[in-house]
Amino acid sequence: MRSLFLVLAVLLAPLSPVLAAQVLRISAIPDQNPERLNRLYGLVAAELGDQLGVQVRYVPVIDYTAAVTGFRRGDLDLVWFGGLTGVQARLQTPGAVVLAQRDVDARFLSVFIANRQALKDLKPFTSIDELSQLKDKRFSFGSESSTSGRLMPQFFLAKAGVEPKDFSGGRPGFSGSHDATIALVQSGAYEAGALNEQVWESRLKEGKVDTSKVVLLWRTPTYPDYHWVAQGNLNKRFGAGFTSKLQQALLNLSPDQPRQAQVLELFGAKKFIEAPVDQYASIESVGRQLGKIR
Amino acid sequence: MLELRGVTVPGRQRPRIRAVSLQLQPGERVALLGRSGAGKSTLLAVANGLITPAEGRVYWFGAPASQQPLQRRRQQARIGTLWQDLRLVDELSVQQNLNAGCLARWSWRQVLLNLFSAQESEACCRALARVELEASLLVQPLGRLSGGQRQRVAIARLLRQNAELLLADEPLAQLDPPLARRLLQLVLDLGQPPRALLLSLHRPDLLEGFDRVIGLRQGELVFDQSPSALSPEDLHHLYSSSGLS
Amino acid sequence: MTPAGQMLIPALVLLPLLWLLPGAVHGGGLALLLQFWVAALQPSLEPHLLLTALRGIGVTLAIALWSWLLSLLLGFGGGLLSSVAVSQRLWCCSWPALLARRLLALPRSLHELLWGLILLQLMGLQPGVAVLAIALPYGALVARVMADQLDALPVRPIEALSTAGAPAWAALFTAFLPPLWPQVLSYGGYRLECALRSATLLGVFGLGGIGADLRLSLQSLQFHEVWTSLWCLAAVMLLLEWSVRWLQRRWHQPLGCVGQRGLELLLLAVVLGLLLIPSAQLMELRWQELFSSWHWPESLPLWDVAGWMQPWLPLIGTTLLLTLLSALLALAITPWVLLLLCPWNGCRPLLQLLGLLARLLPPPLTALLLLFVLKPGLLPAVLALGLHNAGILGRLLLEGLDAQDQRASEALQLAGAGPRRSLLVAGFNTVARSYLSFGAYRADVILRESVVVGLVGAGGLGVLLLESLSSFAWIEVVPVLVVYAALTLIGEAAADAYRSRLLSGPLPLEGLNPAVGS
Repeated sequence: MRSLFLVLAVLLAPLSPVLAAQVLRISAIPDQNPERLNRLYGLVAAELGDQLGVQVRYVPVIDYTAAVTGFRRGDLDLVWFGGLTGVQARLQTPGAVVLAQRDVDARFLSVFIANRQALKDLKPFTSIDELSQLKDKRFSFGSESSTSGRLMPQFFLAKAGVEPKDFSGGRPGFSGSHDATIALVQSGAYEAGALNEQVWESRLKEGKVDTSKVVLLWRTPTYPDYHWVAQGNLNKRFGAGFTSKLQQALLNLSPDQPRQAQVLELFGAKKFIEAPVDQYASIESVGRQLGKIR
Repeated sequence: MLELRGVTVPGRQRPRIRAVSLQLQPGERVALLGRSGAGKSTLLAVANGLITPAEGRVYWFGAPASQQPLQRRRQQARIGTLWQDLRLVDELSVQQNLNAGCLARWSWRQVLLNLFSAQESEACCRALARVELEASLLVQPLGRLSGGQRQRVAIARLLRQNAELLLADEPLAQLDPPLARRLLQLVLDLGQPPRALLLSLHRPDLLEGFDRVIGLRQGELVFDQSPSALSPEDLHHLYSSSGLS
Repeated sequence: MTPAGQMLIPALVLLPLLWLLPGAVHGGGLALLLQFWVAALQPSLEPHLLLTALRGIGVTLAIALWSWLLSLLLGFGGGLLSSVAVSQRLWCCSWPALLARRLLALPRSLHELLWGLILLQLMGLQPGVAVLAIALPYGALVARVMADQLDALPVRPIEALSTAGAPAWAALFTAFLPPLWPQVLSYGGYRLECALRSATLLGVFGLGGIGADLRLSLQSLQFHEVWTSLWCLAAVMLLLEWSVRWLQRRWHQPLGCVGQRGLELLLLAVVLGLLLIPSAQLMELRWQELFSSWHWPESLPLWDVAGWMQPWLPLIGTTLLLTLLSALLALAITPWVLLLLCPWNGCRPLLQLLGLLARLLPPPLTALLLLFVLKPGLLPAVLALGLHNAGILGRLLLEGLDAQDQRASEALQLAGAGPRRSLLVAGFNTVARSYLSFGAYRADVILRESVVVGLVGAGGLGVLLLESLSSFAWIEVVPVLVVYAALTLIGEAAADAYRSRLLSGPLPLEGLNPAVGS
């Protein structure tokens, strides 16, 4: 009889509710190499877990849309969104709150890069109108829903009169991430591309860009980008005041402590600051203009 | 045991059988004669309940054929049919085919078990012995058997069903004469009292051993008498082509 | 035209493709493509990478196993419900079966990836999504095949049992199950191989398993890591294909009886059953979440006219063109390569290796690789879909040739005909009808699959669908789904019509007979 119970217990294990304490599930849009994301958010989860005394788990997602969907469905509690995905997520999730952004995010920018051999006659641009020289080139964005890798570059391209269908092949490529854009342009698979300026700078600094092959064409004007967005029901699930404790934990990350310093370095920021919600109105209007927000 | 009263089954051009009435008492062994297309198979299909006639009534074992499914199945379980095309399941073994005769009285557990392992081997052996087949055939797939062996298996299935009313549709059609005689003897033995037998034939040369002969012509009953009283004129009338359109 | 001729004619598709090629090649990433193939010989063997790959494979296998079993259950039930023969036995009328048949056409009309993306919206990020996404369309497909098979079985034995007073279900079991059984086994095994491919593909789109690793490492150009995963996947796929074939051969006896292998079957069932639990744990499947967390998008504007205002004609046209070109390409490759190289002894092994690689890489990843040297557009999409399906069709062709009677071709060779001629006259003519019939069925599958290469900008309905899903534009999603479903149902009817003309009899479906030449 006892063995029967044992068998039943094993059989029903997948059915049993999660008895463990509430888990705070954090995630991020996959804008960089997955190993890097795993390292970074592993640290963030450990740090938040220690500070808040709850179990924190990093849930990797494969693309930007999945992060938004996961957040809307309530499968993710705290997500590091880009500008566009953050707006999409908040529009679809009543009660969601913006907790913080990096010091660099209020004035964020993208870069356009080119393959040196393929575009020998192209000089770095001095004004936005010169973007029109990218017509009929093989061009790659990052992810389809990336703010700095697609939305804003496409916005500035449109201002210079370049539509997506003007690129070679009648369509731009979508590399999937900022790192992939650098690699693809560097290899010559694409002649030019656009990506997050911060990733570009940090890869330059790490010596991961072959500057004999890739050249910087242009830096865009600034716009607001990445931010932490949390579900509105965290206080109910984790106890009163949890959301503000979480916000404080993020804002208080300081370079003085070794682990926190590592987190900030991987984020490429000196610290996190509060993020005013209304600054994303511009992103929302660009998103609507380009059809990424309906 | 079987009674048909004014049974009519409509067909495309003319009725397949028209206003046929007949009766079968326990222990009677009756031959059904007629050209092919005379309505013998249709009459047997009415007798075993495969076809419900448009007009007329069917009585089984003294009671009207029920329309209520469960009741009807109980009545049908007492009627065994030896089909012209045998209707065995090629993919099953001989033993499983024999046991298919027991489905009406078996529980669902036995039905399922029969698909996986040998059930009631002894009874199956006895049935095989009655039709003069070796017990070693039991485990053979039916598809490997010869035509004559398959015919015997079909008869043995009737034994397993333990039917009281036996119907046989041209069981001898494709057999050479000596084999046909042996098989007919087997079927006639089965039809001894208290059972009854109704067997269709398209040739009139094997009538010994039957108590009555019924003639069918273009769907209508033309005679119903003892075989000894059968005259050449009767047969000529039965098999003449005049009147056929 | 001889059947063999019909097998070689699809190669005409190469003409438009070759015509398109010069305009589409850029060759910028040729070095990258070379690196990719060189990396095949030196996959990364770092322990933690191997471990990740094994885990990914495990999850993919778990998804395949669960979805396969679920689809067989659904398919069996659905098949019984939608079989006219069964319906007439059980309910004495055929309309319930016809109704069920119509209803089951709906889940079948959408590719499993679309099911995955829809269910993801409804159920959130959880492994059960992938399982259901595969099980629903597969179940409906299995149901159709089962119903077709059931309706093609002779009804006379069952009539005999019924008139002897047997209950309808007992008669069904005894007279229908045994002739159906070998086909169930052979088709079921084939579905498991399909489920593995589908589970890998769903992973590429983030629904769990090795596919995600493949896509991420390919996108970040970590080719040595890509090959770690690919070789693991290849090993698993080959092992599965071989063991399925082995079991099919062992259990497939044309005139055998069911029950002789009963114990082995039971053993297999127990082993599979025992695998279910750890695999559910591996992919963290939790049923209560699966059924408790359904969530419909609020204010779904299903019937908003604006969503229906799409340039349907070019969208449908491109989708059909993509399907047609890929299907013809998939059909043409193997017979021609075989014909050209057959005097050489290494021809078969080479084709087998290439076929394995083609089946292994999900089409969207092949398309990504092709983008290294081709401009985005129709061509990389056609090549990606065509090559993948050529891998599947090619295997069926090779197996068909192996299984066929060798005497005719031996006789021809003895009479002095070269290997090419004897292959053309004896080999191809025997297998051509079934090969073409599988090809028609594949074309039907490719029509559904055309959505998965939307990534590379092939155009057509797939691109519109992926774009509107990533913009959360439900108003557009629903009309596209409806049009897509209608299109695939028409395509299915057309493929069926062609196949039944070709075979003039009941349709043997891909995977139904282990031997193609029959």
